[in-house]
Amino acid sequence: MVSNKLSDSVPTDREVVLGILNNSEDALNKLYVGYFPMILQFIINNNGDEDDAKDVYQEAIIILYNKIKSGDFELSSKLKTYIYSVCRRIWLKKLAQQSKKTNNVSDFEDVVSVEVDLEYHEEKDLQFEKMGSALENLGEPCKTIIQDFYINNLSMQDICEKFGYTNTDNAKTQKYKCLQRLKKLFFQS
Amino acid sequence: MRNDIELDAIIEDYLRGKLTAAEAEAFDKLRANDPVIDHKVVAHKVFMDAIKQYGKVLSLKEQMDRAHAGIDVAALSEELRPHPSFIINMWRKNKSAMAIAASFILLTIFSIYSIQHNTLQNGSYEVMRREITNIKNSQNKLVRTINSSPKTEKGHVRSAQFGGTGFALTANGYLCTNYHVVRDADSVYVQNNKGDSYKVKVVYRDPQYDIAILKIIDESFTPLSAIPYKLKKNSIGMGENVYTLGYPKDDAVLGEGYISSKTGHVGDTTQYQVSIPINPGNSGGPLLDNYGNIIGVITAKENQVDGATFAIKSKYILEALNAIPQDSLGKKVVFAKKNPLQGLNRTKQIDKIENYVYMIKVYN
Repeated sequence: MVSNKLSDSVPTDREVVLGILNNSEDALNKLYVGYFPMILQFIINNNGDEDDAKDVYQEAIIILYNKIKSGDFELSSKLKTYIYSVCRRIWLKKLAQQSKKTNNVSDFEDVVSVEVDLEYHEEKDLQFEKMGSALENLGEPCKTIIQDFYINNLSMQDICEKFGYTNTDNAKTQKYKCLQRLKKLFFQS
Repeated sequence: MRNDIELDAIIEDYLRGKLTAAEAEAFDKLRANDPVIDHKVVAHKVFMDAIKQYGKVLSLKEQMDRAHAGIDVAALSEELRPHPSFIINMWRKNKSAMAIAASFILLTIFSIYSIQHNTLQNGSYEVMRREITNIKNSQNKLVRTINSSPKTEKGHVRSAQFGGTGFALTANGYLCTNYHVVRDADSVYVQNNKGDSYKVKVVYRDPQYDIAILKIIDESFTPLSAIPYKLKKNSIGMGENVYTLGYPKDDAVLGEGYISSKTGHVGDTTQYQVSIPINPGNSGGPLLDNYGNIIGVITAKENQVDGATFAIKSKYILEALNAIPQDSLGKKVVFAKKNPLQGLNRTKQIDKIENYVYMIKVYN
């Protein structure tokens, strides 16, 4: 029954890869909805709950996303198998960190080796965590200015208007100060 | 401070590729000469990559959260939760293995079934074939196709088409043979062991029992002396030794055997099954027991079974005889109480009998 649902709603591997390369929101949504039950089943049958499933699954999707976006993605196994393997690896690590027993894992799918991808991801994830905490510590309005400029790609003119600076030079100076603090937080943490 | 801001802006524009070619070249030079600036560039690149990635991941997470909101997680997890039943857990965990095992078992069953089925079919085919050959067998009467040489002919231009055997029933020239020997005959001649040939007429035909009665109508025929043998009325027991005299070739041939069954082909009660070597041309020959009693008429043999010859029981000869007017028969053969051949050895018996056994030659 579950597998029926899966095969009904899941896009083909090719559709997913092309969709992500072309920034298709729809492809990602379908991918997300399609394989979540598989991971949910794995997690809740192995000492986890729904929130664990969500975290692990989203991490795996991010890994897949980055892998596809990096351009040198080769489909050496089915996406389903890849996602399952990544989730399985992440979850086993988490269980080990919580010093819960990790032997006797209930498996539901085939598994492929994903160690390299995971190591690379862990580096990136560390950066993400650092950036997140640095931005938190930066405080407002710096955080929003930085986010608007670097993430939302607003121009200094837009930021100047949005925050009510009298001229762009003031805004630039403000942004510069914020950036220096943020860099300090980011590189020193 | 102002310089720093300017420198930062330039580094950013440089990294974003917003500088013109000339500006970029100048900046590259500056970067190569000034390690401090170079360090700033590298650090800023790392930072920009990090914050870009951060932004991407953040938006990705937001998107996934929206997708996640559309999933009925509670219902799903209820469905997928570890089941209290051991068997269902087992099934879920080993779904694919079980599917493979099941298909393997199915395949095995089908293979075995089809093999057995094939055997069955072969068996029934075997039976069918036997039935077909049986039908052929019943056709396969022991009529001999004669490639006879002209010297055996007396006054006949054409040679005989078929041959069989017959034996005298009365001294005045009534003979008994198989119906199938004379079935399609235009004219029939008989030839005795001395080589004398006589024209005969078919006076009685019985397709059911495969018996025909012939009458010698030739001018040259002189009545025989008294018939030495008798017809046996009762049926004879299994294992009784029997013999026959016939014309599978141009001279009489003796065949010897025993009664192997009281019924004939597929349980035909009008016949015996006799284990006796028989060849085409033996049809219509007399079957005699050790005492010289005629117990039957050789009719046919089974192709596929070794030594299975069939002979019509003697009592049906009498039934055929009864159909012929008594006057014309003269002194006919009777069921003997005491047989003149009794007590004689086989050679003596044959010596007496062979004058009364004829080769039947059929022309059509």
